[in-house]
Amino acid sequence: MACRRIGCHGHTLSPASSINCVKALATGIRTHSICMVSDFFYPNMGGVESHIYQLSHCLIERGHKVIIVTHAYGNRKGIRYLANGLKVYYLPLKVMYNQSTATTLFHSLPLLRYIFVRERVTIVHSHSSFSSMAHDALFHAKTMGLQTVFTDHSLFGFADVSSVLTNKLLTVSLCDTNHIICVSYTSKENTVLRAALNPEIVSVIPNAVDPTDFTPDPSRRDDSTITVVVVSRLVYRKGIDLLSGIIPELCQKYPDLHFLVGGEGPKRIVLEEVRERYQLHDRVRLLGALEHQDVRNVLVQGHIFLNTSLTEAFCMAIVEAASCGLQVVSTRVGGIPEVLPENLIVLCEPSVKSLCDGLEKAVAQIRSGTLPTPETIHNKVKTFYTWRNVAERTAKVYDRVADEVVLPMDKRLDRLISHCGSVTGCIFALFAVLSFLFLVFLRWMTPDSIIDVAVDATGPSGAWTQQYFPSKKGSEKEEIPDC
Amino acid sequence: MEEGVYRAVSGGRIALQRRQYSASCREFSVRCPRLQLRSLSAATCSVWLAAYGLFVLSQNSMVLSAAIFITLIGLIVYLHFVKIDHESLLVIGSLGIQMTSSYASGKENTTFIEMSQVKDVVINEAIYMQKVIYYLCILLQDPGEPHGVSEVVPLFQSSKPRLDCLVEVYRSCQEILEQRKT
Repeated sequence: MACRRIGCHGHTLSPASSINCVKALATGIRTHSICMVSDFFYPNMGGVESHIYQLSHCLIERGHKVIIVTHAYGNRKGIRYLANGLKVYYLPLKVMYNQSTATTLFHSLPLLRYIFVRERVTIVHSHSSFSSMAHDALFHAKTMGLQTVFTDHSLFGFADVSSVLTNKLLTVSLCDTNHIICVSYTSKENTVLRAALNPEIVSVIPNAVDPTDFTPDPSRRDDSTITVVVVSRLVYRKGIDLLSGIIPELCQKYPDLHFLVGGEGPKRIVLEEVRERYQLHDRVRLLGALEHQDVRNVLVQGHIFLNTSLTEAFCMAIVEAASCGLQVVSTRVGGIPEVLPENLIVLCEPSVKSLCDGLEKAVAQIRSGTLPTPETIHNKVKTFYTWRNVAERTAKVYDRVADEVVLPMDKRLDRLISHCGSVTGCIFALFAVLSFLFLVFLRWMTPDSIIDVAVDATGPSGAWTQQYFPSKKGSEKEEIPDC
Repeated sequence: MEEGVYRAVSGGRIALQRRQYSASCREFSVRCPRLQLRSLSAATCSVWLAAYGLFVLSQNSMVLSAAIFITLIGLIVYLHFVKIDHESLLVIGSLGIQMTSSYASGKENTTFIEMSQVKDVVINEAIYMQKVIYYLCILLQDPGEPHGVSEVVPLFQSSKPRLDCLVEVYRSCQEILEQRKT
């Protein structure tokens, strides 16, 4: 159908960036053909989604060819193009649970193989350990002999049944993956332990924020009161129960303290109860689900940003808040202490008492006026995490991976059996053999030679040129080169 | 008249015939892969073997005669309603676009789209069964909106030519559509 763009129009790259890209090509950077696979992509909203989107854009800008494969979201299936020729395949696979597709290790092979062949993919980059499609793609890519990279976005426990199972799955999935990327050192430690990996093949590349999207605007906030902003999904992992303990305590102590809570989730009822019980309707505002572009408008209304997460690999929210010039108060969990320097963040233990102390400290700082101005904070933060930097580092990982050899079948089976325990190892070795046989069958049914090579939209021979874009977004004429 | 041999998405051979009547009037005709004797006999054999199995079990000769009728009726229905022999596309710059699909039995299905309704002819991609294929389609003008597309009409739906064949047809169509604009 006609190519429609979704999501953040604000992210379209500036003309200056395409000049950089030409320069990069002139100096002879190796280009790769990368396929990003994850269950999570726009129109679903979240950290992984924006990570994939931004990273892909910056890789395209560096001259690589990037395509994204995800599952269909409602009516959005088929093939779409986003800004700058970023091609997205929405595959019609059944969604099982929490936007994650069913994993059978086989049913997605025909389609994924077809896509890998027609797009001439050289590196398969999967995202998020919650996404079964990402694991499936890794498995198929290894069967097909493609290089694989995996990015882990979250932390896991070791104790409960579900994490034991996911950890086992991760061990199997990652034991023969070429390279793994984690978003923080804590996350690296966690992943290495969970999946029993060699730490040398694990890199740390933090997330980034688009600093131009998160600029401070002190005029928007009301300086007669102090506003605490919380923006997160209202779920257990984000520590909403702690928040419900903090709100009444601090509201009692400081009559001019207001809370602004953005986000939606099952724990919303807890906050509503608190608001009801202590009659705080005028001081605690629950905004409900926020669109990504509205987050900044909410952030700039506050003085303090509060993050109560119980586990977090790399907290994007606090970087966004700091970029908007807010004083950040956060729990000291997971990778959070690595994210911001000490003078920009107040770290507390994940308990109501400690968080209250932290908030009081922040309030005192604001009252005494010892805080740096939002502008200074923004200027400092904007140099920390940029997508260009992330893309550059990711490209280095790709360069390294491209030189490595993909394990041949016999070595892969050895690795699976020796690495993942005797029972699981044997089962998955059997699966690997079956999927190889399935692949041979598919190659016999539709040989690679009768699969049409897709016209590249991006990359060295990309047909998508800037001049087409604004004028002809209705048709897909860009598809045909030299017309 | 020119004729070229191409391949369909499934790997079968298809033939593209191009007739140029005048500068702004061209006809493209794609002959679908022929019905293979192999698949025909395989289908017949499987029906008859199943019938024979039933006959051995039930000892009723009605089963055998029913099987013969089923094969015959099935073949007629297949040739008359399913199997498309060739599809053609007639583009007349001043009038419109006519699409005809002829069934193996000789039955023909014709659709005509007026030129004023045609917005553009483009090549698009779609996920079809377990494949990702290119197809040619006509975009219809939305009467309400000058830039909107009200409907997408796919062409050569049963022959499903590969990209190289589609590009040939696309180029010729675009030449005629260009003349319309000037």
